[in-house]
Amino acid sequence: MIDEIRQFLLGSLTEMKYDTDDVDDDTPLGPAGVDLTSLALAELAMRVEDGFGVRFDEDEAQTVAVMTVGELCQAVAQRVRAESAR
Amino acid sequence: MTSATVTGIGLVSPVGTTAAEVFEAVCNGRSGLVRPPEGHPLHGVVDAAGFGPAIDAASVIPATEARLVDRSIVIALRAAEDAIGDAGIEVGRDVDPYRVAVVIAGVGGLQTLTEQAVQRSQRGRLGVSPYLLPGTLPNMAAARVALRFGIRGYTSSIGTACAAGGQSIGEAMRLLRAGEADVVVCGCSEAPLFPTFADGFGNALALARGWSDPTAASRPFDRRRNGLVLGEGAGVFVVERPEFAAARGARRHADVLGWAATNDAYHPTTPRPDGSSAAESMRRALRDAGLSASDIGYVNAHGTSTRAGDAAEAAALRGVYPTQTPPVSSTKGVTGHLLGASGVVEAAIAIMAMRHGLLPPTHNLDDPDPACELNHIRKQPLKAAVNAVLSNSFGFGGHNVSLVLGR
Repeated sequence: MIDEIRQFLLGSLTEMKYDTDDVDDDTPLGPAGVDLTSLALAELAMRVEDGFGVRFDEDEAQTVAVMTVGELCQAVAQRVRAESAR
Repeated sequence: MTSATVTGIGLVSPVGTTAAEVFEAVCNGRSGLVRPPEGHPLHGVVDAAGFGPAIDAASVIPATEARLVDRSIVIALRAAEDAIGDAGIEVGRDVDPYRVAVVIAGVGGLQTLTEQAVQRSQRGRLGVSPYLLPGTLPNMAAARVALRFGIRGYTSSIGTACAAGGQSIGEAMRLLRAGEADVVVCGCSEAPLFPTFADGFGNALALARGWSDPTAASRPFDRRRNGLVLGEGAGVFVVERPEFAAARGARRHADVLGWAATNDAYHPTTPRPDGSSAAESMRRALRDAGLSASDIGYVNAHGTSTRAGDAAEAAALRGVYPTQTPPVSSTKGVTGHLLGASGVVEAAIAIMAMRHGLLPPTHNLDDPDPACELNHIRKQPLKAAVNAVLSNSFGFGGHNVSLVLGR
């Protein structure tokens, strides 16, 4: 599951024209790492929602903004598991 | 009244991306109008259209933001880059960033908005990009220019349809005269070549139709004209307070001497047939420039090739010049109608005409319509030393804008 999510995120970032050559689980999504702007984070969240059916609400944007790639993978996996347990 | 100095010109058009290229095309009848090729969304929708050159969005804005940005914004940025480069001005080094203004007009990113509306209806909320608004809003061309060049003064757009480009130059003059800026980056950008917009013009009976030769479709003032040909393009000028331009040793293309705007108050799309409001726009622009009608050596007409528009403009010109008009031409026979952007591209053509002492003809004006009787320039460019020119731009909504430019 985590591998699938990671692959999805990296593929999305590539499609969004971000350089993912040096991106790994420890890379922050924000300025110190991938450097996603607020609109790019919003797009990534929409792609995740489209791909995995889980949603990050507006009030969670700040939380996602300070995550690393690995932390976002975990957060998505957690929500997918919670959804399927319903 | 004080004039404003044009120090930079940047163009994107179906007949070139420099003032010299565009001027050569309109003088020699090198048409930029083609039948949309098979596979293009406009194929079979219009008989002719004027396409600008391909420009990669990522060449003017960061690649990460370039995936959803309307072409009108992309070509505005390219024209602005060229105009600012031509003016040789660096914001921050040569001018206080707060003393530079940007006024880029146009209808905004309607093609991208339309495509997103389709996505919304097919995929729901997730079909709509978070980049929709920065990629389409009509102020975003001006905002992107400000962002790209670190310009921090007055920034705006103008929405007066096909009069908007001319009006952006007038607005620049107003800002300079009011002392609100030393430099204004002004112009207009339009990207109308998609089916919904074209059908809007076509269903309003405004488009040229029935032409097997696309280069014959736009024929201002001709007896056989039956509508306009849509084109895409952008035109941007850098204009400065004359003292400011002189102090920094800027090269001077020409001066904007005066301008005026009026409204027909007649109908949303049909021009007032007697041309009285358009005539008043010209008279007021001449008065603003401190010139009399006889000082004008060339008129670059709006002349879109519609039945009603060309006749009304001819009536307006005859109102200003009851005996004999100056030499008149519309260059849209070659360029097509770039909507709001035409006002800037045509002001550039008028500047080139003054510089070279050569007045471009109206392409395809084979048989002048008696309802459009004017002192037409036909077939060949006319050699004439000209010190002042008048350029008209009229738009849906009854907007009339006239500019007076001088050498």
